Amino acid sequence: MRVVIAEDLALLRDGLQRLLRDNGFDVVAAVADAEALLEQVRAERPDVAVVDIRLPPDFRDEGLRAALELRRVAPDTAVLMVSQYVEPTYAAELLGDGRGGVGYLLKDRIMDVGEFVAAVTRVAEGGTALDPEVVAELVSSRGADGPLSELTPREIEVLELMAEGRSNAGIAAALVLTVGAVEKHIANIFGKLGLAQSDSDHRRVLAVLAYLKGAG
Amino acid sequence: MRAGAKPLLAESGRGTVFLLSALVLGPVWLTLLVTMWSVTLSFVVTPLVVPAAIATALSVRGAGMVEAWLSRGVLETDVRVPSLPKARGFWRRLWAIVADPWMWRAQAYLLARIAIGFALAVAVLSLLGVGLALLTAPLYYWAVPEGIDVGAWRVDSIGLALAMVPLGAATLALTSGLVRVAAPPWRALSAALLGPRRPRKDRDRTSDAGARRALMIHALASAALASLLILIWLLTSRSYFWPIWPILPLALALAIDAWIVWVNENRAWWFEHRLDRGFAIHAGVWGALIPFFTGVWAASGGGYFWPVWPLLVGLIAVGVNAAALLLGPDRSALTARISTLEESRAGAVDVQEAELRRIERDLHDGAQARLVALGMSLGMAEQKLQSEPEAARELLADARTGAGEALRELRGLARGIHPPVLADRGLDAAVRALAAGSPISVTVSATVPERPKPPVESAAYFVVAEALANAGKHARATRVDVRIASSGGTLRVEVHDDGVGGADPAGGGLSGLRRRVEALDGRLEVISPPGGPTTVRAELPCGS
Repeated sequence: MRVVIAEDLALLRDGLQRLLRDNGFDVVAAVADAEALLEQVRAERPDVAVVDIRLPPDFRDEGLRAALELRRVAPDTAVLMVSQYVEPTYAAELLGDGRGGVGYLLKDRIMDVGEFVAAVTRVAEGGTALDPEVVAELVSSRGADGPLSELTPREIEVLELMAEGRSNAGIAAALVLTVGAVEKHIANIFGKLGLAQSDSDHRRVLAVLAYLKGAG
Repeated sequence: MRAGAKPLLAESGRGTVFLLSALVLGPVWLTLLVTMWSVTLSFVVTPLVVPAAIATALSVRGAGMVEAWLSRGVLETDVRVPSLPKARGFWRRLWAIVADPWMWRAQAYLLARIAIGFALAVAVLSLLGVGLALLTAPLYYWAVPEGIDVGAWRVDSIGLALAMVPLGAATLALTSGLVRVAAPPWRALSAALLGPRRPRKDRDRTSDAGARRALMIHALASAALASLLILIWLLTSRSYFWPIWPILPLALALAIDAWIVWVNENRAWWFEHRLDRGFAIHAGVWGALIPFFTGVWAASGGGYFWPVWPLLVGLIAVGVNAAALLLGPDRSALTARISTLEESRAGAVDVQEAELRRIERDLHDGAQARLVALGMSLGMAEQKLQSEPEAARELLADARTGAGEALRELRGLARGIHPPVLADRGLDAAVRALAAGSPISVTVSATVPERPKPPVESAAYFVVAEALANAGKHARATRVDVRIASSGGTLRVEVHDDGVGGADPAGGGLSGLRRRVEALDGRLEVISPPGGPTTVRAELPCGS
């Protein structure tokens, strides 16, 4: 799997490069700014780009803007944003086009190497990876008195893990349930929220996210 | 002290030149001022008064610049004439020329040069002439048919003429002494009246006592000099009372000095009445000049009462000056504003200090402590790597958790200092993000066409953040309306909730917020009756 990394801090860039190489990724380029990122993606056509939000020259949201640009000009390259902070607004912008192949994680998550590698792989394969903090904010802003209040605590947990982009097997492993039990919970959730079931994991996740992003 | 002798001589030489310059400049300035002000006065009811007043102000400015140049060149002062006050628009610029406080000070200086300077110049010239005449008497006494007339004596022999030589030398020494005493005050006067106004802090508050002492010395010296002159008069001809001529300017100088000391001691009174020190001195100088001129008129044998003209000119000049001050910006409003600014600045410093202390404490108790624990876990894991790999694994997992906690705390801290989304996307997006993250139902309406300056933006953000937090925590509100609008250079932020009210505006969060807002020259209003609802309103100047 071919990866491009965009991170301005050399310490993190090198660490990330080593971590991904150790886990079998082919890091074809590691750059320090958004312009170089766009250039490398056009040249290398990698499967996924891991991009820091804050990049030179202004250290604001250059990385995010570059990612949105990548979504347009290189739709085959998935984008995983990593950042020291998460903003649900930015998550909404990344997910705005309703397509998969996108992720938004706190840099903290990199410490759980297994989870992080899984997330990179999932995003590269067209799935999503949304940070639990973003999901928690989305869920809480959806309000306590909406349809979400009809969900059981366990169903909320399943919903959150689904929103993070995990597969049924992943959710089952995280909650120590059987895959069958997870599927049952998911059916209940979709029923209570009035969402149409979908056969693909990714599309189902996008439906959940679209619901959570909707008018709070 | 041979080394000191030369500069002293040069010093009295320069002083003499400066004092004597009033002999020419005094009448020139008098003519200029009287002409210009008379013309202005005669045009006072016609539109021509505007160009006349401007021309007068500019003439005074020109004369002031000549005097400043003279003071720099001859007295070796460092007097720099301040440039005209800046103003936008044609009429304002004209008004700035007329109301220029420097112009009025320069005029006071010119008046001093006319009245005191001219008299001093006459005195110096007379003494110099008499001294030189006596010193050189042996050279020419024989050429004067009746002999030289020196008061009671008639110098018509070589013996007497030679006797006059030490008298002449003494007179010259007296002249030099007079110059050395009379010239330095001009240095101070030109610096005070022709230079830029010194900032307040440079004026020593304790100098009032010093000024009084100086006034006493001045009064004693004037009295001594007057007595000496009268004594000389009594000893000599005793016919025409010539000492009136030096005594009149001496009295004038003393009156003006006394007036300045009095004004300085009663600054507050003038200030309260919206008149400044410059005006007081200006009015005082005219006030002293009128009796002086009347004295000159009486001493010169009466006749046509010409002092009526300077009297009129003085009245007009003082009137215009008073009008300029009274119609100008209100000083008391300025004072009030200064005290507000001082308070809010102190408040801002306090807020900042408290904020920094809080951040330090949070870092110390939070992230730093966690990093220490993390280091310990890693150290122990390293020790146990060989012997107890399972325990080492657990320690490493602990370390990772600790690092995650430290990161989370640092993130919270950074967000409290300056939320990233505010820097990235501005107030509107940041407030919407706040609203989205709030468990209460929040509606946001924001019309901020231009991004305000960062401090204003972040103050507005924290007003909303604090109000939202209070609405959720204390007021148990279910709905919050946030309205943000900028218009006419003001950013208005209003947060209204339907909670139980009773918010304490003096409480920690709100009072800190108020000081933060006031530091930006804004206002924060908290309306929160017990039982609710609560409205927090902030107005921040955002400049356009």
